[in-house]
Order: sequence, then C-alpha cells, then structure tokens
Amino acid sequence: MPFTSVEPARPAALRLSFAPNMESAREVSVAIRTFLAEQGVDEKELFSYELCIAEASNNAVEYAKGPSRNLKPIAEALFTPSQIELRVTDHTAGFELPERVPPPLPMTDRGRGLFLIQSVMDEVRYLRGTKENILVMRKKRNAVRPFVPLRLEGSVEPFSVEHYRTERAQSTAQMAKMADELKFRSETLSSVFRCCAELGRIDKVSEGFEGRLLVDLLHLTSADWYVLRMLSPDGRKLLVAAASEQDLASLPIELPSAVNLPSGIEGAVAMSLTPMRFDIRESTDPSEPLRVVGPKGAGLVCPLCFGSTLVGTIAVGRRNGDFPLGKLQDEVIRTFAEFLAIQTLNIRRQKVEVHNRVVARELEIAQNIQHLLLPRTLPQLPGFSLAGGWQSAREVGGDFYDAIAIDGQRLLLMIADVMGKGVPAALFATTMRGLLRGLASRSSDPSQLLSGLNRLLYKELSSVAMFITAQIVLVDLKTRKLTAASAGHCPLLYVPYGRRSVAAMAIQGLPLGVLPDTEYPHVSARLGSPATLLLYTDGLTDTRNQYGKLYGQKRLTSWLRSQVSVGRRRSSS
Amino acid sequence: MKIENQGNSLMISEVDELTAVNSALFRQEVEIALGGAPSVIEINLSQTRFMDSSGLGALFALYRATAQRSDMTLRILNPTPEIQQLLELTQMQQLFEIVRR
Repeated sequence: MPFTSVEPARPAALRLSFAPNMESAREVSVAIRTFLAEQGVDEKELFSYELCIAEASNNAVEYAKGPSRNLKPIAEALFTPSQIELRVTDHTAGFELPERVPPPLPMTDRGRGLFLIQSVMDEVRYLRGTKENILVMRKKRNAVRPFVPLRLEGSVEPFSVEHYRTERAQSTAQMAKMADELKFRSETLSSVFRCCAELGRIDKVSEGFEGRLLVDLLHLTSADWYVLRMLSPDGRKLLVAAASEQDLASLPIELPSAVNLPSGIEGAVAMSLTPMRFDIRESTDPSEPLRVVGPKGAGLVCPLCFGSTLVGTIAVGRRNGDFPLGKLQDEVIRTFAEFLAIQTLNIRRQKVEVHNRVVARELEIAQNIQHLLLPRTLPQLPGFSLAGGWQSAREVGGDFYDAIAIDGQRLLLMIADVMGKGVPAALFATTMRGLLRGLASRSSDPSQLLSGLNRLLYKELSSVAMFITAQIVLVDLKTRKLTAASAGHCPLLYVPYGRRSVAAMAIQGLPLGVLPDTEYPHVSARLGSPATLLLYTDGLTDTRNQYGKLYGQKRLTSWLRSQVSVGRRRSSS
Repeated sequence: MKIENQGNSLMISEVDELTAVNSALFRQEVEIALGGAPSVIEINLSQTRFMDSSGLGALFALYRATAQRSDMTLRILNPTPEIQQLLELTQMQQLFEIVRR
C-alpha cells in the first residue's frame, strides 16, 4: 500500500506590491530574499531567487507602457520545504515565452534576464491575461516529491512594500525589546536561583545571604546604592541589616505607635506596607534618614512583607537623583523584596523548627533516663506485697520512686518529684537516686536521709532554681511500724492500726534545694491489718478529666478504701 | 563605489551591488575615468553581494568601450562564488580576466 506523504511544515507566503520604479523593484527583491532566508533557505539558493525576482520585477517596470505605468506590480514568494514558487504580476503588453530561451551571446547587450530565470528555476510559466500577466517560477527543493501546484489561500490583499518595511522595522524593534526583557528576566531569575542555592547550604543559612542578592539587584536596576532594614524582634525599630556602603548604615528608625507621627520614608513604607518612590530634593523633613544618600538621592522604598507580616524595608536608588525606574525595574525591585521577605520568614521558621527538634530530642532522652530510673523489680518480702506504677501524663516529669530492702525486716520506700522538665530534671533524679542508695547503707532514718540529700543537692538545685519534693518511709514489717519524713511532698495515705478507714499523713518539711540546711521532722504510726500504705505524687491527684475536673485526694482516698475492703474479703475467704 | 587611478591602472572597488538601480551611474562614472587612458582596469567585486542582468550589461558596456584597445587588460578581481557562477552562465568570463588574489 503506497504511503501518502504530507507536507512536513506549514507553507509560508509573502505578497508585496511595489511602486513601478527600479528602486522599489530592488527593495522587493531584497525583501523576498530576507523572507526566504527566514524560512531557512541557504545563501547560494537565496542569490538565485533574489536574481529571479529582480529580473522579473525589472521587466515589469521597464516594459509597462502608457496608463499601465501607474499600476503597481506584485511580487510573491510561496515557501514550502519541498518547493519555492516565485510570482511577479505585471501590467505590460506581455510577451511570448519560448520553451527555452537560448543562451545569449557574450557579445550582446540585452536579453539575459529570462535566460537567467530559466537557468536557475525548474519550471517557468508566463500566464497572460487581459489586464495583467503573471510570471510563475518554481524550483523544487530536495526533489523527492512530485510537483504539487500551490495555491494561495483565499484572496489575500498584498502588502505594499512600504507597509512591509514599516512592519518589519516595528517587529525588529519589538524583537529587540523582547530580547532585552528576556535577558533582564533571566538575569533576575538566575540571581534568585543563585541565592536559593546559597541558602541551600546549611552553614550559610541566615548569614548575609541578602548581600549577594542585593548586589545583583543594583546591577539589574542600574541603581548605585541600597539600604536593607530589618524589623527588630520587638517590632518597634527598623535596624540597618545591610547597606551598599558603610556611610549609609544610619541609626535605627523608631516605628511610631501612631501612623501620623513622622518616621521618615522607610518608616512610612513599613507602617503602610506600600512601596514609595522618593526624591530627597522634594523632602521637607530635615531628619529624613535617607538624606545619607546625598542631597540629590532618589529611589524606591519597598516593604519586605509577606501578607501583612512586616519583615523590614529595602531602599534602592541612585545618589545623583537620576533614577529612571522603568516598569520592569520597578517590578524586579518588588519581586526581590517579596523574595527576601519570604526567605527571611523561611529562615526564621527553620530556626524554630530546629529548636523544636532539639527540644523533642531532649524530651526523648529524658524519657529514656526516667524509664531507667524506675526499679525494674521491687523487693519481695514475706507477708507483704509491693507494687509500683508510673505513667507520664503529658511530657517528661521528674517523678520517680524506689524501694530498698534494708534487711529481712525493714523496707525503705521513697517517692520524689523533681520540679522541672527534660534532661536537667532527669539528671537530678538520677543523682538523687544514686545518693539515696549510698546514704541508705549508713542510715535508714527518713529524717536523716532527707537532710543528707538536701545538703548534697542544695548547691546544684539552687543554682538552676529547681527543687525536689520527696517522701521517705521506713516500714518495719515485724512491728508494722512506719516512720515517715517529707520534703514538701503530698501526704501519704494509710490505714492506721485498729481502724478501717484510710487516713492521710501530712508531714511538715521544705522541699530539697530551698534552704542549705534543713531539719526534717519525722512522724511514726502503726499499720493495720492488712497493712495498707500508698505513696504518690501530686501528678495523680492533680490530674484533670476531659471536663477539667480534678481527680483530687478525696477520690484517691475512697479508691484506696475500696481496695482495702476487697483485700479484706479476700483474706477472710 | 570607489574609482582610483594608480599610475596606468584604474581601480574600481567597493561596489555593494550592481543592478538596474545603479548600473547606469556605474557606466557613466567608469566612462569618465576611461578618459585617463589606463592600460589596466581592475574591477574588484569582492564586496559585491548582488548583480542582475543590468549589472552584467554594465560590465559588457565597459568591455565594448575598451574592445578596440588591444593593449588594455580588463580584469575582475575576487568575485563571490555566486557572481562568478553568474558570469560563467552568461559566458561573460570569456570577456574578462578573472583573478583571485
């Protein structure tokens, strides 16, 4: 099955009318040459086509007689990748075109034109009409396709050569302008990309990335100075963050609380978040900060803001007052300002994120320490059962507990709450646990142990304004006697000997780390049967439910009472 | 266009193009210069970008004006390949000495 090939590209056509004189005829052949060059026709071919149009146009001018001399001939070129067709319409009496014009003798003066046309083109026809004749000249290109007659789409009015010249000049100017704009925009873009690339390097973050960008800005806008001001953290001053020259780094600008107070051009821009052009010669304010750029300084001040969040201001201009700021330059300054604002806010957000990550990591470490602090197993003693529980409500607290069997008969219980969070609190808890274990080998008296811990921990705790509440209880399993001392800790709960109800034992004592030397009085009592004793931290009683209601000591007490009766029933059965 | 007399030589150069527009002027100016009876006429076509049959006609006219003088050399210098081809196509190269240098 034969394949039908299609034209690989759209045809292009140029149709020009011209005044019937040699100068216009010449201009038309140059225009057609240019048109064909734009279609990618090579130099050697162009010479031939220019020659054909020139010869045919010259004839159209030369042989027009009488009133026909006022009619405009038309020259056309139709381009397709496989064929070029040239046409010249004349208003002459016409002539008989021989099949083949013989080569002119070298010694003759005339008659070379048609011979040349037939020599360089593949097909030449002369269509004779009553008012006009058309010389059609065709040349196949690549010679792979059968001849396909070309038709002009519809009846296109020909351009006049003058019109073509004007259009061409306009489009050339337009192209030059577009090329300039494109260059300008691409330089802006590459400057922004360079800045982004620099920002991508972590070590450079926030360290003068604006400097490079602003130098590019000066280059792009042909400005000769800039002043970058950043809003102070308290939001009340505009501080100079960078300036093109040292002498431009003037004093901070106080932002007024009321809009109508004078604060200079930059202040006004910051307050209104609106860019402002300025010329120092028009300013009546003798204290205008931008006077540092000189008595003739002029330029543009843009706010650095994202939405309504002000970051700072950027002022750009020329010292000699001659700052022809085009639409494009104006646009690029605003774009830079926006970019700077966004980047600055991004860097700030990054810093906050880094800080948050550090905090989160610290909490993770503290949590790990806290888990290590709690005893994995509690001592097992005959006739008694011991249970401990720990659950963190939100973040890491400094709560921990310990149980040390002194001998087969006595048990030391300790519970503490380090006031503070994170790694420091966890470290104090570790230290305190170690110290207690050490001290307990020498004394098992809760008062003495708390005094000892306070003495050892006071200096470190007070230097970081932290303190610890703790409670130590010594239980004699044989006599059922408990001795307790407290360092500002919440009361312990127990069932006294001979009673059925739960009692709270509140003991006086300052938290550890408040005073360097503190005595901790102790309180003793006898436990009932079954022995019931609960040590807890206020993390339990201060817990609130979803409606914000405290769990409270009262509920804890009644819970404990219910546990006691369950235990009693169990032991009686 | 530049026409210079250097001793017995007439040098014609800096011709951008030779066409129906300027061939008459070319003929006139060269004719005037021929009054100095040079023995060599050199037409430097290295800068000539385009020539049509009128331009060829002007060269032919120059040939005819000097044809009687057997001692005169008529030389065309450095034509572009396109113009050289044009001269060959019209057999004009028989009338001129074409030199590249």
